[in-house]
Amino acid sequence: MPSGDSVTDASQPAASSVRYEETTKQYPGASSPAVDKLTLEIPAGEICVLVGPSGCGKTTAMRMVNRTVEITSGDVLVGDRSVRDREPAQLRREIGYVIQQIGLFPHRTISENIGAVPQLLGWKKERIRERSAELLELIGLDPELGDRYPAQLSGGQQQRVGVARALAADPLVMLMDEPFGAIDPINRERLQNEFLRLQAEIRKTVLFVTHDIDEAIKMGDRIAVMREGGRVEQYATPAELLMAPANEFVEDFVGADRALKRLALMRVGDINLWEAPLAYVGQATSEVRRKLAAPDVEIPYPLLVDSERRPLGWLSERDLGADVVPQRPDSPLGPVLERDDVMRDALADLLQGESQYAPVVDHKGRIDGVLSVEIISEFLASPEAKSDEHPAVERPHG
Amino acid sequence: MASPLLLAAAGEVGGDFFRERDVGDLCQAQPGHLFCWDWAKENIDRFGTPTVQHLQIVIPAILIGFAAAFALALLAHRIRWLQPPLLAATGILYTIPSIAFFFLLLPLTGLGRDTAIIVLAAYTLQIIFRNTILGLNNVPASVKDAARGMGFTSRQILWKVELPLAVPEIIAGLRVAVVSTIAIATLAVLISAGGLGTEMYGSNLNFPTAIIIAGAIVILMAFALDSILLLIQRLTTPWRRVSQA
Repeated sequence: MPSGDSVTDASQPAASSVRYEETTKQYPGASSPAVDKLTLEIPAGEICVLVGPSGCGKTTAMRMVNRTVEITSGDVLVGDRSVRDREPAQLRREIGYVIQQIGLFPHRTISENIGAVPQLLGWKKERIRERSAELLELIGLDPELGDRYPAQLSGGQQQRVGVARALAADPLVMLMDEPFGAIDPINRERLQNEFLRLQAEIRKTVLFVTHDIDEAIKMGDRIAVMREGGRVEQYATPAELLMAPANEFVEDFVGADRALKRLALMRVGDINLWEAPLAYVGQATSEVRRKLAAPDVEIPYPLLVDSERRPLGWLSERDLGADVVPQRPDSPLGPVLERDDVMRDALADLLQGESQYAPVVDHKGRIDGVLSVEIISEFLASPEAKSDEHPAVERPHG
Repeated sequence: MASPLLLAAAGEVGGDFFRERDVGDLCQAQPGHLFCWDWAKENIDRFGTPTVQHLQIVIPAILIGFAAAFALALLAHRIRWLQPPLLAATGILYTIPSIAFFFLLLPLTGLGRDTAIIVLAAYTLQIIFRNTILGLNNVPASVKDAARGMGFTSRQILWKVELPLAVPEIIAGLRVAVVSTIAIATLAVLISAGGLGTEMYGSNLNFPTAIIIAGAIVILMAFALDSILLLIQRLTTPWRRVSQA
């Protein structure tokens, strides 16, 4: 048994590429292969999402990497080594494994669960304890929970532990089979975000299986859209997939609302915002009126800001009837956005706040521009939205 | 109560069985009197040896029965198709009436403790085998899948995951086996194996005091061993007692 000390230090990201080479799985008695000559390369350090309808062979494809499903023909290379040459149990200890049902050991404490693979690798007790504590912190769980049993944790907490357990021995590759599929929507979103943040740090090669295209778009650096027999219909970045579906199958699978889905990949700061006509407390209203009359001003209302240029509210016609700008504006401010907000959420805020405009502020709360429903709809209609040149293709965690 | 016919059949058992109980003058005045304290006080010593004999039958029987049933269960866990035939076989053993079982074995193993241990061990097979299989089958598939995917070998999955999780069912089976074995062991006297039965199936049926004392010892013994098993279960399954989130 190789010493656990050979595993790279956690502070130095270690990941291997994964390469499918005409990988085939034929189950005995089945008329056609579950996965037929799959060829796919996943670069080290990226999240590759295998997405497709149920029965398309995505889970089978994933499981051939750690040989929980045996390969019928072809090969899978982790790094440059064929998994077929490896002793399965040894191989699996180098590959993180997260499943939808989580599968924590009910009879072991959270710390013991996290330390399961290090224990198999023969790490010293002290080192396992330190590693468990480190991972609890990494996934944002109270260290005190380490001595609890899985039944004492919520579903969301349990899956965080499931992820921590898979990371414990600093694997080269992570396999995640619908990891957040059984979590309620609010917690799922939170776990997805947490995992993306974590991945920005640890840079593992991740094979992520889901049937949910929205999750695929959110999580994937690359997405492989699969159909029956593990056939890859398109293998592309999320933006490419949304802009240029390779065929009708992908187009259907991605959905008619793919333009809207692109908004999930954008940040408010990625788009050209409007400039707001600003009004300062105590300023003469005549000056403000002059600003409003300027030809390039799109917004008919001035935005009241304090001396630090932090927005206070919108001024109405009635407010401008006075000689000077009042301290309290007539209309409430409505939603305030930040440049880092996801565009889709920003649109939701606008619609929900029943406001046409929302001020966008920088990290210090100072006004940076104004986003409107009109800007978004113009963007979606513009050829720019359909080209690949927009910075929108940058990964949120990149 | 054993029938006279069986008692005659067991005639060779001899003195021990048909021993005259020295009731003496105590309690003579009240025939049918249920319990005679004076006699109990004077004769409590005579229960020591039968109690020890009883344990000498029960404990080896449980240990042998457990070892055999456990081994069979592990085999049937690995080779799935063995489960129905083994369940049927142990089930058939369990249905043989105990007295018949004792006498069926007499030509093979003769009178005495060995025969009693064999019969009692055979009776425990069914419940321990069935509960061990049940416990192993109850381990969630997701837990086994996770263990396998993390690099546990089949043997590690069995010993580190499946068996620890099956402990509650295994011990539940063991507890039933222990209580019934202690009770049936009172019949061991019929084949000269001694035990607390010697004080129950005595001669003087009009004098129940000895029977009551022997019965009380049987109950206490069952209670004590059951408590020990319960304690073992609590110590080995701390995760079962945690409050749910």
